[in-house]
Amino acid sequence: MTFFFLSLIAPMKSLFLPNARPPRTTFALMAAGQAGLLLLLWLFYPLQLFPSLGDVLRALADLTTTQGLVPELWASMTTALQALGMATVLALLISYLTALPFFRPLAYAASKMRYLTLTGLTFFVALLVSSGHEVKLSVLTFATTVYLVTGMTAVMLGTTQQELDHARTLGLGEWRSFWEVVVLGKLADMLEVVRQNFAIIWTMITLVETLYQSEGGIGLLLYKQNRYLHLDGVVAIQLVILAAGAAQDYVFGLLRRVFFPYASLASAR
Amino acid sequence: MTPYSYKSPVLTLDNVSLTLHGETILRDISAQVLDVCRPGLSQGQVVGFYGRSGMGKSVLCRLMAGLLAPSSGTVLVGEAQQPATPGAVGFVQQHYPLFNHRTLLDNLLVAAARRYPEPAEARRQAAEYLERFQLTPHRAKYPAHLSGGQRQRAAIAQQLLCSDHLILLDEPFSGLDVAMLDEVRKIILEVTTLDELNTVVIVSHDLATTTALSDRLWLLGQERDAAGQLLPGATISPQHQYNLAEMGLAWHENVEAEPEFVRFVEHLKEEIRAS
Repeated sequence: MTFFFLSLIAPMKSLFLPNARPPRTTFALMAAGQAGLLLLLWLFYPLQLFPSLGDVLRALADLTTTQGLVPELWASMTTALQALGMATVLALLISYLTALPFFRPLAYAASKMRYLTLTGLTFFVALLVSSGHEVKLSVLTFATTVYLVTGMTAVMLGTTQQELDHARTLGLGEWRSFWEVVVLGKLADMLEVVRQNFAIIWTMITLVETLYQSEGGIGLLLYKQNRYLHLDGVVAIQLVILAAGAAQDYVFGLLRRVFFPYASLASAR
Repeated sequence: MTPYSYKSPVLTLDNVSLTLHGETILRDISAQVLDVCRPGLSQGQVVGFYGRSGMGKSVLCRLMAGLLAPSSGTVLVGEAQQPATPGAVGFVQQHYPLFNHRTLLDNLLVAAARRYPEPAEARRQAAEYLERFQLTPHRAKYPAHLSGGQRQRAAIAQQLLCSDHLILLDEPFSGLDVAMLDEVRKIILEVTTLDELNTVVIVSHDLATTTALSDRLWLLGQERDAAGQLLPGATISPQHQYNLAEMGLAWHENVEAEPEFVRFVEHLKEEIRAS
């Protein structure tokens, strides 16, 4: 009996050792245990400040059946993906142009623009473009671009002298060396930057959708729930956004594994 | 001792100095590597530059590889003795960099494409080097999956595929265990037997191994002025240039076990300590 108990406990010790690599099943059990604990806490927490699980589930069903949660989520997601696509192209262009000293101030300025507030920015963009959709898309694209440029230029700055010298010793010219080492060599890292910054779009889209309500979106739905103090609805929408974000992260991880299988080979797990 | 004669120079350092951020790193370095001819033998040569840590060896390598321009003096390479430009000399840096996003075969193909514009020929050459360096079973692997030895062989093969007979190795023996050290020696000697024009230049702080493999040796060190003060920058004094082939100490089986070799290495150590 003691032996059985010890054999069960022994792998658990690794969960509290620095840099340890616990067995997969132990880790899965631990994660399930933590999730279960959180659920129990939610179910039996004595203070009723937070809506109960039952309330949230009911709100989720109501939002889905009567308030079009799924189409609103879809509308927000397509806008987010559109913005991300455009921002990625723009940010890659700006970042790669830093190979030429002439364009370095542009990347520097773009990177610093992430400190601009969204509300003030929206006002100026509204003066420049006509439809609400364009305003939303422009603001999201701009804001995402400046964050992406920051991450992407950091990746590029991580290029070592040795890497570039290696390409040069093979007789590759400066542009070809740049293409091989920085563009192709760092593509997986660039995708990681895009993945990490996609979350920013979700925090911004909810704000932008409340400013431009004509097209709806999950941000507007959240705003309405907030406004009428439907806390159960707010939590339900937040959980939906959380799940959508987790799914996105998974897809990005999958893309990375499929297209850049070498990317994770040297990393410690 | 195998008879030999020298032909035209393949690498010339003529009064090379380098100053970086106001600090003299290298001063008035002159050395010349001549193509060696051994009748009846199809074998190139190994020459060595020894220097203690922090002496500017890697900088010297970058100068010889054309990756850095000297502040004064000239570096000439090849039979035509042209100024060194990137790609003119094969250069295997420390830690054997490869393109991590490409498989081993693709790494070799990128290098081969320069000398063999015809894709079929490039592929044939790459396959030949894979075979010669016992890397064929690993051709589809990414560099992260290669062992240290495989990585070093791959890096050398990559440079050989695109360079003209002159190949520089920066610290090839650094941090290797005895078995790996033997492996690297084998690779270096293999490179010299690939083509009689091949010259391997070793730049290292491993005195015994570099001396054992080299036909010629240069010691990088610091000189003192008349007052006994150290002069800035590393250099090669005339008395620190050794023709090991002439001394009968050029590489041959078990050279390291011979008393002459042991005495010579001890002498070198004393010279280094005194400088």
